[in-house]
Amino acid sequence: MKLTRKQLLGGAAAGALGAAGIYELVDQLAADSPERDGPVELPPEQHLLAGMKTFEHEGVEVIEPPLHHQVVTAKLRVDPHPSALAAARERLEGALRDLERSYDLTPAGLAVTVAWGRPYFERYVPELAARHIPVDRRATRSAVRPVSAFLDAIRFPSDPDDTILEANDVAILLRSDIREHVADGAGRLFEETDDLFDVTSIRKGFQGGGFTGATSLPKSMATAAGVPGADLIPDTAQLFLGFTSTQTNTQGQSAIANFETLGLVDVRDGYFRHGTHMHLSHIDEDLEAWYLDFDFRERVDTTFRPGQEASDGAQTLPQPPEDAVGAAEVEDDFRRAGAIGHGSSIQSTSRLQMDIRGADGELYRKGSAIPLRADFNTLDNPFFWTADPDRDGFEESPSAGVHFVTFNPSSDDFNRNRLAMDGVLPDGTRLPIPPRARTQGLNSVLRTTHRQNFLVPPRSHRSFPLAELLQ
Amino acid sequence: MRGLGSLIVLVVLGGVLAGCSGDEKVESSASARPAGCPAALKPEWQQLANRVGAPVYCPNWMPSPLDADINGQWNSSGPIVNRDRSFLVGFLWHEASSGDVHVNFRGFPGKTAMPQCLDGKRRIPCFSDPRGTRQIGDKKVTVYTVSRDADQWHVTYLWRRNGTLYTVSEHVAPPLNFRKVVANLDRLVGGLELIAPNTTA
Repeated sequence: MKLTRKQLLGGAAAGALGAAGIYELVDQLAADSPERDGPVELPPEQHLLAGMKTFEHEGVEVIEPPLHHQVVTAKLRVDPHPSALAAARERLEGALRDLERSYDLTPAGLAVTVAWGRPYFERYVPELAARHIPVDRRATRSAVRPVSAFLDAIRFPSDPDDTILEANDVAILLRSDIREHVADGAGRLFEETDDLFDVTSIRKGFQGGGFTGATSLPKSMATAAGVPGADLIPDTAQLFLGFTSTQTNTQGQSAIANFETLGLVDVRDGYFRHGTHMHLSHIDEDLEAWYLDFDFRERVDTTFRPGQEASDGAQTLPQPPEDAVGAAEVEDDFRRAGAIGHGSSIQSTSRLQMDIRGADGELYRKGSAIPLRADFNTLDNPFFWTADPDRDGFEESPSAGVHFVTFNPSSDDFNRNRLAMDGVLPDGTRLPIPPRARTQGLNSVLRTTHRQNFLVPPRSHRSFPLAELLQ
Repeated sequence: MRGLGSLIVLVVLGGVLAGCSGDEKVESSASARPAGCPAALKPEWQQLANRVGAPVYCPNWMPSPLDADINGQWNSSGPIVNRDRSFLVGFLWHEASSGDVHVNFRGFPGKTAMPQCLDGKRRIPCFSDPRGTRQIGDKKVTVYTVSRDADQWHVTYLWRRNGTLYTVSEHVAPPLNFRKVVANLDRLVGGLELIAPNTTA
């Protein structure tokens, strides 16, 4: 199926849901889909993906994420009446269960995650939301007033002034090694519920490392699309920026990103137990600036930590729990090197500062990563399809970027991580780093175009959460 | 969105360029042009060679709209000749709405070590991130993708001859991209004529 973006814009979003566009190349350029484990039982969490394989690359354990990713955002067309919501809930849930009967919850099958924006809760179930949405204990202590675990997205110091803070009702994340599964899943889901949603955007992308020595998907796709700087990407890089990001040690394990696990959040009556918080953003990446203005040593320093050991051309660097740094070390680095590392600055908030026995009974060791990222590279500019091209700054030409998806126990937890990336440390220290200055390294080549926070309910309440309590 | 057919062609092209990461022999596309330094410009380059007391390279082709007229409208740097006889000659076209075309020629007579640049108080190599070598005519050039000082954001071709280090670099900026700059430098270096000094400095 070949469609120009203009044709897509002229037609219904439905066509774009299953359209491959440039991403058809992923199947041609990727090696065979990775071997995956067989069927698994559905966990109570929506955001956890079963059957993920790990392997060793450059001596570091790495998780192999699904090849194909798609996010569909929408606003609701549902009447805010309990009976209308009940009917809508039944239809969405039916469509989701239908997909679960068709596909295993593994990368070889299809994983679907339904996340809800604050506009949904405020318009449809405001009183119930006020009673049931978890409260962030840590943020509440800091603010000395109750702070919800689910806040509107904000602009951060290194964000451009024109970063769009979105207001979608819902976002649906689909992930699979098989593009047809994503296309079929999105198509069926929105076909069976087409009168419930006005799709606002469709976002597509890919992950896939050249871990076996073959040219990686980001390199191949960027080259095929003629993206500026594509030739400068290392041939086997997992991501456009040249480094592996799915080391097991950098990804939240088990249920650590759930609302309830670490005790950072009060889940109140437990309605949203096994749920989590999701941040979704689109970030444009200037590859030529990255590879022409920063040499390999500088790219290591700014991506990881100033002075981080790395053999020439290394892509997968170890970031074990025992090496996780705190705010004091980040400040020391800044005094010594005049710069901070992306990874190390975030570690000051994203890694556990002590051993914690989680609510799930698992012992999470000091230095363990909390956020569970599900980000993926994209050539969308900024989206594959949008209902509002002018507002979103839609361009036909492909552009290197990332659709950043991450699960954290709360909005505040995400904000703390993102602020640390800009030199605002958890102890209150603000390192004097000008926004997007070259001394910010990685930040200077990133430009966030869109942001929104979502709440991911547990699987049992994924369809129109809280609406059933209206009756 | 681009059609699939054109994308596949680009994949193949990308593969060719990826050869930059290893040794590669580049046919000089300047061969179709009159060989050697343009007669009208030769005196300027001869004067430079005489001034630094070492051979310099004069191009017989420059990326549009530049020419290699040292005394012309596109000259942006010098020639700047330092006390150690190292030199820089730059040519720049700049238009706010369109971008830059910027080419620099450098030479370090009597020196073959990697030149050093200042980064704050640190001394760092002026050219880093080598991406393999290319044989262009009689020159074995190393391609550097990270350059400093007046060559910042340039791709630099570096080679050595008879105890002297030479570089030619071009800025990667609209309307050019990395791929086009590499093609330009291949052509430019392929058309260089060595001008020996006829007097001592």
